[in-house]
Amino acid sequence: MNLWQPRLPRRADLVRVGGLAFLALGASTITIALLRAGIHITYPAPVYLLAVLAVGMRYGTVPAILTSIAAFLLYDFLFVEPLYTLTINSPDEWLNLSLLLAVSAVIGRLAALQADRAREAADRAREAEGLHAITGVLAATSTVAEAAPVVVSRLERITAMDRVWVSLGATPAEERILADTAPSEPSPAAGWQVVLQRRPDGQMRWVRAHVATGSARRAPRAALHRVRIEVAGEVLGSVWALRSRDEREPDRAETRILSAASDQLGQAVVRDRLSQEATSAEIARQSEALKTALLDSVSHDLRTPLATIRAAAGSMLDETVKWSEEDHREAFQAIDFEAERMGRLVRNLLDLSRIEGGALKPELEPCDLDDLVHEAVKRTRATPNKRIVVELPESLSPVLADELYLGQVLANLLENAIRYGGDTIRVRGRARTDGRIEVSVEDDGRGVAQAALPHLFEKFYQAGAPGEAQRRGMGIGLTVVEGLTRAMRGEVEACRSELGGLRVDVRLLPAVVPEELVVPEELVEPAPAASAQPAAPPEPSREVAPAPSTPAGSP
Amino acid sequence: MSGPTVLLVEDEGGARRALSEYLERRGYNVDEAATAQEAIRLWDAHRADLVLLDLGLPDLDGVDVIKRIRREATTPIIILSARGDERDKIGGLEAGADDYLTKPFATDELNARIRAVLRRAGGPDADVQGCLRLGVIEMDQVRRSVSVAGEPVRLTPREYELLKVLLSNQGRVLTKARLLRAVWGLAYAEESTYLHVYVNRLRRKLSAAAGAGTVGASIEGLIETEPGIGYRVADNESVSDTGA
Repeated sequence: MNLWQPRLPRRADLVRVGGLAFLALGASTITIALLRAGIHITYPAPVYLLAVLAVGMRYGTVPAILTSIAAFLLYDFLFVEPLYTLTINSPDEWLNLSLLLAVSAVIGRLAALQADRAREAADRAREAEGLHAITGVLAATSTVAEAAPVVVSRLERITAMDRVWVSLGATPAEERILADTAPSEPSPAAGWQVVLQRRPDGQMRWVRAHVATGSARRAPRAALHRVRIEVAGEVLGSVWALRSRDEREPDRAETRILSAASDQLGQAVVRDRLSQEATSAEIARQSEALKTALLDSVSHDLRTPLATIRAAAGSMLDETVKWSEEDHREAFQAIDFEAERMGRLVRNLLDLSRIEGGALKPELEPCDLDDLVHEAVKRTRATPNKRIVVELPESLSPVLADELYLGQVLANLLENAIRYGGDTIRVRGRARTDGRIEVSVEDDGRGVAQAALPHLFEKFYQAGAPGEAQRRGMGIGLTVVEGLTRAMRGEVEACRSELGGLRVDVRLLPAVVPEELVVPEELVEPAPAASAQPAAPPEPSREVAPAPSTPAGSP
Repeated sequence: MSGPTVLLVEDEGGARRALSEYLERRGYNVDEAATAQEAIRLWDAHRADLVLLDLGLPDLDGVDVIKRIRREATTPIIILSARGDERDKIGGLEAGADDYLTKPFATDELNARIRAVLRRAGGPDADVQGCLRLGVIEMDQVRRSVSVAGEPVRLTPREYELLKVLLSNQGRVLTKARLLRAVWGLAYAEESTYLHVYVNRLRRKLSAAAGAGTVGASIEGLIETEPGIGYRVADNESVSDTGA
């Protein structure tokens, strides 16, 4: 499929072809003259075949045939009797010269074909290599914007252009440059603008669109090439290539590479568009799902306590029923308990929004786990039938944490354990070998199915116990635990407890205690009793500790 | 009515009426104010015995109200504040408030706090002999000795100073910065590590002594951590309330 329009020879080409023919014919003529004079060869005319071969290989069939004719005439003129005329007397000579002409024409043609084939093979190789390079870039990058800079720089090198850029937009006026090999240079004032026209049958042709600078037609000897990026008839943008050295049209390989590159870019642009649409659709879908989950959870978990509160309050307001003191108390206790539960929910919701909004600003300082654990245990509303066992070694070093956040983390874990556990809850602390300090809260409840463990910290995730699909609260308590722990540069993990239920480990960094605090100061020695007397009334009415030097001295 | 007067400053009407009702039922006289201006006007007019102050007021910063009152009197002030406003609470406590409550709070909690600060306002910190007591802890300031349930406790100078500041502020919440300034000096106001380490040592020594003591008394809950804020010191009456 020869899609290539024969090129019209230009003056430069003519000079070059003529030059080679002249040299080759001249050299052959001298050789023949020498052969005839020196060693008396009768018919040295085939030497001209070498000249025809040379021209044919280099410039193709037509120059080869012209050279053959020139050789024929030259030989006739210089070496055939009568000399220096184009007249031929002997029929032998006629035959010889005619054969020379015929053979040289065939040789020229064959040489030209061979050369064409070699050139075509080289072009194909270059084209394939170029396409491979560009396809590789587009495959390796995820977006056109990412790929474009590499593509243009490769295109520039492969097609021997001076500048290549890609811009997107339906018309040149709307186009915005995506990548440019010479981004800082002003847009070029080209002498020509040629546009590649591609027909559906695969034919391609460079068409001169207009002359950019009318009068100075030859002044900027640069040609601006435009290849439209088109997909399914829609123009998405252009690949622009500037060649300023000469007016040579891009050859076939260069043209095919430019054309293929623009097709590839077009596909990539479409791919980008589709994936963007898909992503935003996915985001919309997920946020819709989250909103629904939030609304479901919030409405369910806030409505339950509200229902209890309204029922209790309504009963109290009902004047037709006589309520005993005991009934009153129970109703108000229910209201109080449910209000507290709602308060917890709201607190976790607020924490969650702060975590998600990135509004956490932990003040990390050394915190005593023992202190915070006991504080948290004290604040939980554990019913008397629940037993909370705290096992914290004395030697445990302080953790680096925000008191409030860690307090909230412990409170959430304890509330969870109380709500879903059995009757024993255990809080344990230990120093890990990796240097972190771990505090674990575990219960002896039914626990969480193994498969659900990794999802436990996901928002709105509600794990049922193994083999049941029961709702477990609002599914944000543990999300808050994780968010706050991460903010304190710690980590959380859930696993199965030895007690049978769920165990959640919170690992925090150990705090560095300043050197001077490690070594305690000298003890205060109580002032001698005698010297203290003047300030005190003579008869102390209360028992004052005698402050002896040894503890054993105490009565 | 002979009960103490409470100045209740709360901009939200529903909450204010509910609280006011509760306080009146408990025998307090209640002055209600919805704005800082009104609060200051009522304070000037009646000099309440106790101020319950919401920090988020529409006109002025609640902290300004505290400063205004503190210029003239040591009247107990309890801050009512929403969760997450830790900085505001610290600001209020630093300006001179005695305690804080985080909304929403239970009314029995409010009642306990009110009683604690009123008791504190009523009596001197140390008795005539310069003796400070909190539950089973006794500090003889003259002899610089400390005992728990009669069991002597040996403290370092800093531990002693810290305990002294704590015992002198019974029924109050002390911010970390305030304790650090009082015990270590101005330059240490940010060094909360010091405070953590010393409070823990102090608790350990006092507990050890309590455990060894004949009464088997507990000092648990005498110095409580208020996460993010500082420490709350119990007062004698609340100790005997719970201890009994």
